[in-house]
Amino acid sequence: MDLVFFPIMSIIVFGFLSIYLSGFNNFSIGRGVLLGMLLWQVIWIVQYSVALGSLWNIWSRNLSNLFVTPLTVREYIFAQAFSGILKMFIIFLGSSVVCFYFFNFNILDIGIANLAIVILNLMLFGFALGLVILGLIFRFGTRIQAFAWGILPFFQPITAAFYPVSVLPPFLQNVAYTLPPTYVFEATRGILNGLPMDMHQMSTALLLNIFYLTLAIISFDYNFKKSKESGQFARNEG
Amino acid sequence: MVETVLEVHNLVKDYGSFRAVDNLSFSLPKGKIVGFLGPNGAGKTTTIQILLGITSATSGKISYFGKDFIKNRSDCLQRINFSSAFNDLLGRITVYENLVVFAHLYGLKNPKKKIYELLDHFEITSIAHIKYLDLSTGQKTRVNFAKALINDPEILLMDEPTASLDPDIADKTLSMIEDLKKSRELSILYTSHNMDEITRICDEVIILDHGRIVAQDTPLGLTKMIPTAQVRLTFDNTKKVVEEYLDKHEFTYEFESAHSVLIDTEEKLIPKLIFGISKTDIWITDIDVIKSSLEDVFLHIARRKKT
Repeated sequence: MDLVFFPIMSIIVFGFLSIYLSGFNNFSIGRGVLLGMLLWQVIWIVQYSVALGSLWNIWSRNLSNLFVTPLTVREYIFAQAFSGILKMFIIFLGSSVVCFYFFNFNILDIGIANLAIVILNLMLFGFALGLVILGLIFRFGTRIQAFAWGILPFFQPITAAFYPVSVLPPFLQNVAYTLPPTYVFEATRGILNGLPMDMHQMSTALLLNIFYLTLAIISFDYNFKKSKESGQFARNEG
Repeated sequence: MVETVLEVHNLVKDYGSFRAVDNLSFSLPKGKIVGFLGPNGAGKTTTIQILLGITSATSGKISYFGKDFIKNRSDCLQRINFSSAFNDLLGRITVYENLVVFAHLYGLKNPKKKIYELLDHFEITSIAHIKYLDLSTGQKTRVNFAKALINDPEILLMDEPTASLDPDIADKTLSMIEDLKKSRELSILYTSHNMDEITRICDEVIILDHGRIVAQDTPLGLTKMIPTAQVRLTFDNTKKVVEEYLDKHEFTYEFESAHSVLIDTEEKLIPKLIFGISKTDIWITDIDVIKSSLEDVFLHIARRKKT
């Protein structure tokens, strides 16, 4: 329920904000803000779903039940990712419809093929982040469960979701360019301003995503192994 | 020769400098219930978690059906299952939906048929479409049993399945376990710190303390570790007559009331005591033989270790 409620409410708030900004400044800034919010949800839903899906199992004291079946951890992660992606598509569709009917913003204006590359990149980042958080939850237990919903807002200002990277102070710009979503948001805003898709930025984002995903898998495997060694994995259910 | 379905060799689990499981070796014969008995912190639950693969061992070897567990994790888990009072199913979905998930995880070909067979068996068909969260404790216990049998396991690992249940539901649960053992020839590894439960359902008992096996035998065999018993005699005579007889034969005793005495003796001497006393003028109205229980065995072992 929270996965549906928060994104739709955010879209409505940012929708009105975009109308306000369009009226005072220019149309593209308003659309850019709404675009940022809509795309940010791709990262948020995938990451939140991967991390929180397991927390629900821990809170229900059901996680051990799953892992004493022939289910492997790879299959479990794949299922969490699949579930997250499915939820993301459904909610993204709903949010896009709200944008189209209420705020006169059509996400398909950036092009279907471009949208697919954008979503793929953002999904990969959300999944990598979710995987790291999941590994930490398995290893350290529910005492760090707030990471599941508390880590992502840290990335929001430095990935320049709602404004150009040039707005950031120079040192933060350097940080921003180490993160794949920065390139995605920059490139997508460019399309809204009438530029062609910057494939260099998108391929940089993809390479960075592959790098981060590899690190996330290594991190998850390490934390999962440690959680079984320390007994925390079995103790997670209290 | 009895077939062995689970073999554990020199299992060790260290948490830093603390050794939770200390060189544990045992086997589980087919169709038998082996009980792990011990106080909190004895290593029962840790051992079960290692046997299920959710905690890793520091060293040692586990084989199910002759196959190495680490190398054949999925094959082994396909043939075993787990039930614990400390685990639940997802509360937000129905009993049926929960069971469907597990049916698919075990790759069942006809989940619906199997689920309704189990729901029928445990007489809970009527709650199939009720959310797990809304069930009573007794209903949840039955659903957990249904989950534990969904793959027709050959081995069931049970970690204190009656903990936190009220006595009536605990008794019904034990009856269900006894019934399962008989009807399915299940091999069960059962942990508990409840002596009566272990005595009632287990064919063999392993007493653990500080991660080590301190005794292993049948429940009856273990109680014979303590050769002494107590005999409570209720009589109509005066206390003095009884006292004289017991003093004469050098028994240790204690009067509980004017007409009741508690005599300590070796189990093998009980017939002799009763036969001897019946030949006197003492008019016995009741005899109660109090044999040692698993609890006494456990306390005996614990005290022996301290001294």
